[in-house]
Amino acid sequence: MRAMLLIRAVEKAWGDAYLTEEISGIPPSLSTGQEAIAAGACAALGDGDFVFTTHRGQAAQVARGLDPKRILAELYCRRTGYNKGKSYHVTDMTRGVVGMGGIVPAQVPIAGGMALAQKMRGTDRVSLAFFGDGASNEGAVHEAAALAAMWTLPLILLCENNRYCITQRDTDALKGPSIAARAAGYGLPGVVVDGTDPLAVQAAVAEAVARARAGGGATFIEAQCERLTGHLIHDTQPYRSREELESAWKHCPIFLFGERLERERILSADERARMNREIEAEVAGAVAHARTQPYPAIHEAYEDLWA
Amino acid sequence: MFDNRLFRPGGPVKPEEKDWPSFRGAINEAMREEMRRDPLVFQMGEDIALASPFGVTTGLAKEFGRERIRDAPCAEVAVVGAAVGAAMGGMRPIVEFQFGDFMSVAIDQLTHQAAMLRYLTGGQVSVPLVIRLPCGGGQGAGSQHSQSLYSWFAHVPGIKVLLPSTSMDAKAMMKAAIRDNNPVLFFEHKQLYRTRWPVPAEFRDADHVAEFGKAAVRREGVDITVVATLTMVHHALAAAEALAAEGVSVEVIDPRTLVPFDVDTLVASVRKTGRLLVVDEAYLNFGIQAEVIATVAERAFEALKAAPRRLGNPNVPVPFAPCLQDEVLPGRARIEAAIRQMMSR
Repeated sequence: MRAMLLIRAVEKAWGDAYLTEEISGIPPSLSTGQEAIAAGACAALGDGDFVFTTHRGQAAQVARGLDPKRILAELYCRRTGYNKGKSYHVTDMTRGVVGMGGIVPAQVPIAGGMALAQKMRGTDRVSLAFFGDGASNEGAVHEAAALAAMWTLPLILLCENNRYCITQRDTDALKGPSIAARAAGYGLPGVVVDGTDPLAVQAAVAEAVARARAGGGATFIEAQCERLTGHLIHDTQPYRSREELESAWKHCPIFLFGERLERERILSADERARMNREIEAEVAGAVAHARTQPYPAIHEAYEDLWA
Repeated sequence: MFDNRLFRPGGPVKPEEKDWPSFRGAINEAMREEMRRDPLVFQMGEDIALASPFGVTTGLAKEFGRERIRDAPCAEVAVVGAAVGAAMGGMRPIVEFQFGDFMSVAIDQLTHQAAMLRYLTGGQVSVPLVIRLPCGGGQGAGSQHSQSLYSWFAHVPGIKVLLPSTSMDAKAMMKAAIRDNNPVLFFEHKQLYRTRWPVPAEFRDADHVAEFGKAAVRREGVDITVVATLTMVHHALAAAEALAAEGVSVEVIDPRTLVPFDVDTLVASVRKTGRLLVVDEAYLNFGIQAEVIATVAERAFEALKAAPRRLGNPNVPVPFAPCLQDEVLPGRARIEAAIRQMMSR
């Protein structure tokens, strides 16, 4: 619960910074409605495992335990951000987080390569590639899935089906029974999971991780959810009806999981509110920190190209 | 100097060439030595284990096994992506493309991912990989199997681009490429594979590796500088030999690496000769030839006694029919004609 609340708070701060024109450039891509997927998936991973994110990658960065101060410093283009202010896609190799997504499907074949290295080096570590329903139509995803099957790679292909590829509804683009149904064609186990339930996602990913660690190869998981905010923060979703959006918000994972924890007497509404206040204070501190950080020095434009 | 028949199986080896290493054998030896030295080096490519199309990986699967000499499916995006990811994970992959033209299929993985990820991550990752790209025309292989596309990749930041033209360079540059911590493209002209070249003693030295960014002056001269790559180096040398009989002294420079590029050797040569001809099989429009001339124009304009010239493919696909193919590719005869024309002014 904490991870999901923290994801939403960090992303809200990022979105607000853009809407108040504190930061500019390409607008923030929020994962509102998708928090359970990153939170559940990352809970099933350990040290030395790698995740490769989409452009909507902040959820996974937060869920993997990256420091919100340095995430926000990066998104504020400051030199003390994780990538020294050089990317929207926050990366921390020490925690196994590779931020990608500038080219939609590209992280998936590369995650396969990391899995190949993990396998060839004799470790039991795994790699997980996040990608969206839109990317699932890309050849790179098909090729990477086929190669992962052929070489029995310790890879988890985690498709976040948030129902929209920018403005295109998934049902317009996908004519099979599900995205995960394609897994059979690759020769991989395919699983559909409720992407608004962090525990269901965690269980599905944990099973895939166990299979991969045991040498059983890759798994294709489709986690279904609803994208609640626009493709990017400035997108007000005029292509969706008010009824549809109202209905979508009923699938908000934070709302659903909060109700469940309350119902099961694990976390009361008061306790959740207190947790959220703490998180909001932490994120406010991270924003204040990011604002004070220096921008990269001009000479840094010419650094970090060559190894 | 070149004979097209060399490309075909069963091409003749001249008696004096018997002890000279072949170009493809030199690459094979470099990879073998580096795979023995470093267990993190491994290879992926179509048919490289069982029936290497140009024979460059012959015998490696037997020595190193199928885990390290991995036959890849026909899935260039996934394979280059696998190389990028494996390199980030500490391995040193070498990828073979059957024809370098196919790099177009996986260009995003190379130019946006392999080449940019270090920069984008603020230096957190390195991507040490080598992609071997058979290139060039002359074999009647058709328009999509005969190109020289290195300008595409030299154009973008973050990729080293190598153009070896002799057995010695092929070996030393391949070894250096494998040890380099950056993405490296290794262009292999298919006409060179079966050629054999005399080599210095260091060819046998397993620790000898090339230094990138050092052009080779293949022949010294005082009247004109000819910059040529790959097979065109040898066409230019043949032209220079013929012109020497006419009293024209031609300097032939082989850049060997486009990225990094040895500007100093080029500029020093043009300052000496005052004339510049650039020869390459690449398409002329916005190509390597233009870049070399622009560099000289910026750095040594006042040294030029004549307008620089360039030879290359005049922007048509390399045709399938041999008579048409020969028409669009530069060669010894055109180099000689261009030099005579430049010297007559």
